[in-house]
Amino acid sequence: MISRVADHCFWFGRYLERAESCARVLQVTSSLALDTELTQEQCWLPVIIVAGEEARFLERHGEKASADGEAVQRYLTWDEGMASLRHAVCAARENARSIREVVSLEAWEAVNELYLWITGKAGREAYEAHRYGFYLHVRRAVQLSLGLLRSTMLHDTPLDFIWLGVMLERTGQTARVLDVHHHVLAPVASRHQVVDTALWLALLRACSGFEPFMKRNPGRVTGAAVASFLLLEPSFPRSIRFCVHAAHDCLSAIRPPGASSLPGGESVARLGELDEWVRQRGVADAQAGSIHAVLTHIVDETAFIGNLVSRELFGVSAVPA
Amino acid sequence: MEGSSTQAQFQAPEPGPSRGLFTDYPSEPGAYDELLDEHGAPRAAFRRAIALLGARSSDELARAQALAELSLLNQGVTFSVYSDNRGAEKIFPFCLVPRMVAWNDWSRLKSGLEQRVRAIGLFLDDVYGPQKILAQVPLLRDLVLGAKLYLPKLRGVRPPGGVRLHIAGIDLIRDHEGTFRVLEDNLRTPSGVSYVIENRLITKRIFPEAFEEARVHRVDHYPTRLAETLRSVSPEDPDRATCVVLTPGPYNSAYFEHSFLARTMGIELVQAADLFVDDDQVFVRTTRGPRRVHVIYRRVDDAFLDPEVFRPDSLLGVPGLMRAYAAGNVAVANAPGNGVADDKAVYAFVPEIIRYYLGEEPMVEQVPTFLCGRDDDRAYVVDNLHQLVVKAVDEAGGYGMLMGPSAKQAEIDDFRRRILADPRRYIAQHRVELSTCPTWDADKRVIAPRRVDLRPYILSSPEGPWVLPGGLSRVALREGSYVVNSSQGGGSKDTWVQKEPA
Repeated sequence: MISRVADHCFWFGRYLERAESCARVLQVTSSLALDTELTQEQCWLPVIIVAGEEARFLERHGEKASADGEAVQRYLTWDEGMASLRHAVCAARENARSIREVVSLEAWEAVNELYLWITGKAGREAYEAHRYGFYLHVRRAVQLSLGLLRSTMLHDTPLDFIWLGVMLERTGQTARVLDVHHHVLAPVASRHQVVDTALWLALLRACSGFEPFMKRNPGRVTGAAVASFLLLEPSFPRSIRFCVHAAHDCLSAIRPPGASSLPGGESVARLGELDEWVRQRGVADAQAGSIHAVLTHIVDETAFIGNLVSRELFGVSAVPA
Repeated sequence: MEGSSTQAQFQAPEPGPSRGLFTDYPSEPGAYDELLDEHGAPRAAFRRAIALLGARSSDELARAQALAELSLLNQGVTFSVYSDNRGAEKIFPFCLVPRMVAWNDWSRLKSGLEQRVRAIGLFLDDVYGPQKILAQVPLLRDLVLGAKLYLPKLRGVRPPGGVRLHIAGIDLIRDHEGTFRVLEDNLRTPSGVSYVIENRLITKRIFPEAFEEARVHRVDHYPTRLAETLRSVSPEDPDRATCVVLTPGPYNSAYFEHSFLARTMGIELVQAADLFVDDDQVFVRTTRGPRRVHVIYRRVDDAFLDPEVFRPDSLLGVPGLMRAYAAGNVAVANAPGNGVADDKAVYAFVPEIIRYYLGEEPMVEQVPTFLCGRDDDRAYVVDNLHQLVVKAVDEAGGYGMLMGPSAKQAEIDDFRRRILADPRRYIAQHRVELSTCPTWDADKRVIAPRRVDLRPYILSSPEGPWVLPGGLSRVALREGSYVVNSSQGGGSKDTWVQKEPA
């Protein structure tokens, strides 16, 4: 397929996933903040950090703003910058619009309707009147779009690129949510059993992992068990292991590992190494002392592989020498 | 089950004195109406279909109109208002009351359009070949060789498959007697066909019963026919040809249509930067390396095709494309250089062109045209500006025009100066009354007459021309207006072309 189109597919997938993830984290945190023993800042600061926006947010809204849930939500939902929910939806839609001939009509309509809703009056009104419903609407619209992509498009290279984007984005999101919560919350939580459980449950919910986790761990909810689940569970579709493996599958379908005449060899090899590396992690890697290093490696590698894919498959490498 | 209850619900009313929504329809004095005769009665060819439309209530129509607009917006059937990345997108205003063309009118039009397209194709071959007609008609020679859109570098280049005019859009109007006349030929990158197909989806949904009654030709096979047309001119095996649609990009006002055509033909939509030329062959950059391209349906102007030839300063375009074209390695639809034939002054010669190349009389009328480059014509024009419509030959979209009958004296004086300064740039015509068609006025919630034109689309392969039985009816939505261009308050309607009686 055309390199430019592949590029748009990839980013379409990434931004869709990012929009859902952002809405989910804000929704879960709003709920947590209502009845937690934590301070407001302990609830909301991690959200800003996960979005990678700590510096810009504090600079614009002041040091105290991280204790202001409304300010955090407004910023992460509506801000003109790159990190907001609104921006993710607009960027997903703009990428899809640039490849209208590739995205199925059904999926395009779902994405376009979400875009028109969030940039129009209806989205604003829902945000003001019914916050939980607002986030739910965004999440459902994205989930519908993702589902339509898989059920209405050819399972072929364009969908592989979209899904590669979704899976790499999801890997990064799960890794960052896990890392940040672990860092900020672990010292606070371990002092109190009830608080502890509530926090780990919130973390699971932030990754849509509460019920799946309970099916695998029908006992006590501990930090180590949750971290291990989000990192290693091979059947949970948001665990890092699952996502890296699925991303590798997509890229291998696009560029089979043995096809040395095709561009993309370094990308697929590097992603294969990461897949293998994650597969070899064990419970010990999910412990408080080691998890940060593991997650940092994963976040760095996925970023590196994303750039490599751009260079090898979207860039100028297709021009004959 | 559902089908039969729908049938029952839309039981055709017996034609009687009540005309429902059309009861107080105010006809436009002097204009031919497409659906109702001068007594306000439905035209015979569509009597029952019109009765069924009229039986709807204004509430129903208002609701259907709002739903139709929402559906167009959600699907992204839009055009960009400004050509930059901040550009707001708008739906092309749409009126759900269809425009209808009777089968016998259409049958005449169809032959006339085929004739016109064949003749213009031969004319273009001549202009970019031996130039026989130019030797015989000096004024035409001066007009053609002096036209901005004439590309002398392409003289002697034979396009793959021998076709230059793969896609034509011919604008027709209907005068006060109901006679169809060609107003303008669009021979470069005529747009609008996607709206023909999208509009049809909507009217079928809203007026299933009237649609069935009217026996309407389908239009949804256009993309298939277009794909066949493109493949038919491939320089190599048509079954293995790679065809692409070339768009300026998502910020172009017609981007929706470009993606629509690529999507419905199942071929790729490319931008200039996706293509490159190597050894006089065109390739597209893909994730699996370069792939050869055989046919380009380009929706960019000549000037932006190839910086090597047209604009050395431009970053747009595909360097070397014209070399590949001249070498016969890629077909470009429409052929570069066609603009010379849809020049508004050359238009005046088309009846002569038809006679010259085909030895036939033109089957479709056109609008009598004064060429300001002719001394007699110019003298008449400058003395009668207040009753003429004057157009600059190289402008489109309703710009660069003088509407004499409604113009202020200062404008008329200004145009007189411009004409005398550069007479060849201007042509003039008497204002032709445009026909009207019942149109939904959303503010007043009534059906009112509004002026329309019609753009049929004609595809040409080496086998000859094919006319899509339908077309884009553009409508001047503002009361009293004659300007149907979307850039100036125009909208569109579905066009129902009637099948021959069985």
